[in-house]
Amino acid sequence: MHVLVIEPDRLLGKTYVEALKAVGYSVAYAPTAQAAIVAADEKTPDVVVLEMLLPTHNGIAFLQEFRSYQDWQAVPVILHTFVAPHTYQDIQPILREQYGVVSWLYKPQAQLRHLLSAVKQQLQVEA
Amino acid sequence: MKQLVTTAIILSRTDYGEADRILTVLTPEYGKLRLLAKGVRRVKSKLAGGIELFSVSTITFVKGRGEIGTLVSTRLNKHYAHIVEDLQRTMLGYELIKQLNKVTEDEPEPEYFELLHQTFEALDELTIPLPLIRFWFIAQIQRLGGHTPNLQTDEQDRKLVADQLYDFDFERMTFVANPLSGRFTANHIKFLRLVFAGNTPKALMQVQGVGQLLPECAPLLDHA
Repeated sequence: MHVLVIEPDRLLGKTYVEALKAVGYSVAYAPTAQAAIVAADEKTPDVVVLEMLLPTHNGIAFLQEFRSYQDWQAVPVILHTFVAPHTYQDIQPILREQYGVVSWLYKPQAQLRHLLSAVKQQLQVEA
Repeated sequence: MKQLVTTAIILSRTDYGEADRILTVLTPEYGKLRLLAKGVRRVKSKLAGGIELFSVSTITFVKGRGEIGTLVSTRLNKHYAHIVEDLQRTMLGYELIKQLNKVTEDEPEPEYFELLHQTFEALDELTIPLPLIRFWFIAQIQRLGGHTPNLQTDEQDRKLVADQLYDFDFERMTFVANPLSGRFTANHIKFLRLVFAGNTPKALMQVQGVGQLLPECAPLLDHA
C-alpha cells in the first residue's frame, strides 16, 4: 500500500514518513502541491495525507488539480493539518463530497498514532 | 491552419489520454473554447504557468474542424496569487468559476469574460469580504442573464420613493409597497442599484452600512 504525504515542514514530513514506513507502508513525500502532483504521477497513491497550508498553492488548489485527473479521482485524502475543522465548517461538506476528503485530523490535537490509525483504517476500507 | 491569438481564462482542465489535457477556456473574442493541450504530461503540467486557474493568459490556438481546437502556446499575463493564500477564497474562487462555466454553456457574451476577470481581481484583494464578492457575482450573473430586478418602479408602476417601505415580489421581480412592515428601505434599493449597475466589489465596499445591507439584501438574490 502506497501513501503520499504532503507536508511543507520537512522535519515533520520525515517523522510521518518514517512512522508510516515502520508499519509497512510504501511512502512518497512531497513538500509542495506541485511536488505532490509529480510524486503521484510517478506512483499513484492508495491514500494521500495532506496539510492544507502549503507554500505557493494551498491544499484546495492541490485537490482541485489532483481530482482533475480521472485515475486519481477515487484516491482518499486524509487532512492532517494546522487548519482547525471548526473554523471551516461551511466548506467541510464540499471537501467531503467534491474533493474526497475522508477525515480531518487537527495537528495540535492529533498524535502520530491517530494519523497511523486513520491511514490504516482507510487502507482497510479500500482493501 | 490559421493560428489565432486571444486573451483567455481557464475554466476547467481534464485529462485526455496519457499525455494530453483538454482545457475549457473563456475568451472575450471567441467565447468559450475547448482546446486540446497536446503532450502536456502531468509532470510538465505545472500548477504554475499559462494553463493555471485564477490566471489571465494570452493563448495561441488553432480552431478544430470539430468541437475541440488545439492549443499551440500560452503566455501568463497575470496570476492572482493571493487567492490561493486563503483557503476560503480559493474555495469560493473554484465555486464561482464552476458557476460561470455552467451558465455559459451556450455562446457567452464577452461580458462574462470581464465578469470573471473582475471576480479574480476582487478575490485577490484580501480586504474585500467574501460574502460581498459572492453577492456581487450572483447579481452580475443575473444582470447578464437579463434577470435584473425592477429597481425603478413598484408593482403598480409607481416610481420607488425614499420614504416608503417595500417588500419584494419574487415572481414579478418587483418591489411592492408595504408602509407598515416592509423589509426594504431606500438604502437597500440604492445599494442594489449600485450592485446591478456593475460597480466592482471594491467600489461597493465604500457604501455606508454595506455590512448590514448585504445580509438583508442577500435573500433577494438567493431566492432567484
